Amino acid sequence: MTPTATTHPERLLEPDWAEITAITPETEDISTFWLRFEAPAIQEHYRFQPGQFNMLYLPGYGEAAISISSDPDESRRLVGHTIRFVGNVTRAINRLKVGDLLGLRGPFSAPWPMDAIEGKDVILASGGIGLAPLRPAIYHILRHRERYGKVILVYGARTPRDLLYLNEYEEWRKADIDVQITVDHADETWSGRVGVVPMWFYHFRIDPRKTALLTCGPEIMIRFVVFEALARRIPTDYIYVSLERNMKCGQGACGHCQLGPYFICKDGLVFPFSALEPYFNVEEY
Amino acid sequence: MTTQSEILAELEKIPWFRELKAEHFQRMAAIATLRRVKAGETLFHEGDKEDYLYIVMEGRVALDMFMPHRGKVRFYTAEEMDVIGWSSVTPVVHQRTAGAIAVMDGLVVALDAEKLRQICDEDHDLGYLVMRRLANIIAGRLMVTRLQLVDMFAHPDKEGGND
Amino acid sequence: MIERHLAISSVVSLPKTELDALLAGLRHNGYQTVGPCLKDEGLVYAGIESLADLPRGVISEQAAGKFRLVQTGQERYFDIIPGGQSWKQFLFPPRLTLFTAQKDGRWRIAPDGEPAPRYALIGVRACELAAIEIQDRAFMREDYADPIYRARRRNLFIVAVNCLHPAGTCFCVSLGSGPRAERGYDLCLTELDDAFLVEIGSELGRSLMTELACEPASAYLQNAANQGLEQAVKQMGRHLDTSDLPQLLAGNLDAERWEQVGKRCLSCANCTLVCPTCFCWDATDHTDLLGKVTRRERVWDSFFNPAFSYFAGGNTRPAIRSRYRQWLTHKLGAWKEQYGTLGCVGCGRCITWCPAGIDLTEEIAALREEVEA
Repeated sequence: MTPTATTHPERLLEPDWAEITAITPETEDISTFWLRFEAPAIQEHYRFQPGQFNMLYLPGYGEAAISISSDPDESRRLVGHTIRFVGNVTRAINRLKVGDLLGLRGPFSAPWPMDAIEGKDVILASGGIGLAPLRPAIYHILRHRERYGKVILVYGARTPRDLLYLNEYEEWRKADIDVQITVDHADETWSGRVGVVPMWFYHFRIDPRKTALLTCGPEIMIRFVVFEALARRIPTDYIYVSLERNMKCGQGACGHCQLGPYFICKDGLVFPFSALEPYFNVEEY
Repeated sequence: MTTQSEILAELEKIPWFRELKAEHFQRMAAIATLRRVKAGETLFHEGDKEDYLYIVMEGRVALDMFMPHRGKVRFYTAEEMDVIGWSSVTPVVHQRTAGAIAVMDGLVVALDAEKLRQICDEDHDLGYLVMRRLANIIAGRLMVTRLQLVDMFAHPDKEGGND
Repeated sequence: MIERHLAISSVVSLPKTELDALLAGLRHNGYQTVGPCLKDEGLVYAGIESLADLPRGVISEQAAGKFRLVQTGQERYFDIIPGGQSWKQFLFPPRLTLFTAQKDGRWRIAPDGEPAPRYALIGVRACELAAIEIQDRAFMREDYADPIYRARRRNLFIVAVNCLHPAGTCFCVSLGSGPRAERGYDLCLTELDDAFLVEIGSELGRSLMTELACEPASAYLQNAANQGLEQAVKQMGRHLDTSDLPQLLAGNLDAERWEQVGKRCLSCANCTLVCPTCFCWDATDHTDLLGKVTRRERVWDSFFNPAFSYFAGGNTRPAIRSRYRQWLTHKLGAWKEQYGTLGCVGCGRCITWCPAGIDLTEEIAALREEVEA
């Protein structure tokens, strides 16, 4: 397990406090909250890796597991959390203002395998808010572009209004990341793609021996992305899936996020597909 | 106007055409025309007579349906090597079930649907290859439609959940 | 005189009345002594002061969905097989305040200075010792230790008792966890008609025993204890075939049997609450009316609860069948991979306390039958 910067071994679930320094609205129901620890010493030592998450705590409402969506190399200054307001905690967070405090524990989970996929062509397939945990991986690739072959980001959302991080695509493209955007539905003003993420595999010429896939999004999207990847013979050890479950502790203790032998919070969130295969198509497991 | 050699050059770019026997390729080439489209140009309207099967060579073509109070709803875009208007080959209602509009300048191959049906009827070997190809296309289109249908990005229960 | 002969693993005999002195000695050493007591026609684990608090001459009749106290006319104290409660409540409290957050301009955590209680558990069965050992693995992993559990566990004194009268839902023999307490205790009692046979398991246990009027155990007494235990092995009310259980379960996640048991299961979570190894918990906030003081509380949870698997993507296990499958595939399957042991000790509580009378030994047998068919 990754060392946890802000968990107190002697105090169960006790967070450190972080101040909201900025709020970036992303879509109608998603914003990015930029946090800085109250204690500079904690901020100074805080590190995370792409794909990890924090538990954000709002007293009176509880905790929510939120993926870190910012640049890992900027963790000394700020930590960004892209939050969709769908539950009691996140809806209450949506009512907070710059200057308010949130409790923070983390980071938790196994990260994206940025080292293990060096030298590979990388496909990042994501949908909806699933782009948030991949954005730190994109920043990592931007900083170390030479370590990776072709990099393709396939990103899908429900409508053009639901696309995250719109103003960054140009910069990513300049860094030779092939950004492929698609939406489920659109009106006549949208000249981009309409469809779903898995179908864009039809367009890529993939060399399965040198391709790695990182995918995150709704589970059904992941399922079809994996089908397409398997059909193109990407080895199951190079298909990485980030899963989501109800998580309360982040440390494999509370039992909520179990999948077979795994505690998703500590053994995942990122798994090679080879580890998930026995459970992947079992309903409600 | 496009010349026959231009048509042949385009058809040779299509992966499944490359797998055709020379004789089949020739028969297909004989019913193919090239059509340049401008962004905003309509290939066909919903309700039009079904006359051509299109293969997109360049550009992007959107399929849409008109819905009262919502206007045209775009549910699919086709790009390089994608096929649109598949129902023209196996017509049931003999009318386009969706509209197609180019969203950027492009080039499409148009296969005369009536003649295509005819040569498939006459030569079942070719017919089999064409139908198998169409079945793949329909399967892909169904997959997309299903994933849209389940509305995978929607939150399942807006009121529930603690997070 | 006997003092210098006592050592760890010594076996002595202790007059029954001396148990009062042992309890007093434990309290003198700062322990809260807790043990089995009768309450509301059931058996609970609660504070005990003396022998008089123990359920003398009572046994429990247990079957699927059934627990009855029966007077035996015997004089013994530890014949009774426990009720729905297990010792986990003392190490892993069902409800516990973790911290209090106060808003005075900004949020602050109010320190919680309560030291961990020191419990002496009196009458811990072999299966329950095994359960504590299993929970140790879950709560005190190499990479993460639950601070609450660890503090209470370190303070624990265990007086085990060898089990001579198993109940109808017992199957510890199938799991190799009983009826004899083999390790993990400070003292271990075997209750015979006239005396306790006491095995010493720790230095603290040894030093407490030196204060008591114990004598070297006669071969006759030791023989009687062994015979009683051999007899108990034969009295198991249930049997569980544990061969290849993890593989059996992992390989049959779509078995028809899950559908059938899913129709009987009420998803009431009783089995997970009475289970001495189940460790799932939730954390909830309790706030004053002004919203300025919030108590963060940890409570037991269970994947039978509908909200257990609920997250922003929906409920992972809406069907009861899926929750029951999770219970069994975890307890008797994935647990092994997680902690190197099955999560079941054969205590039978989940069978006794299931209002629908679902019996996991029966479920496993039926699953085997389905797979072999």
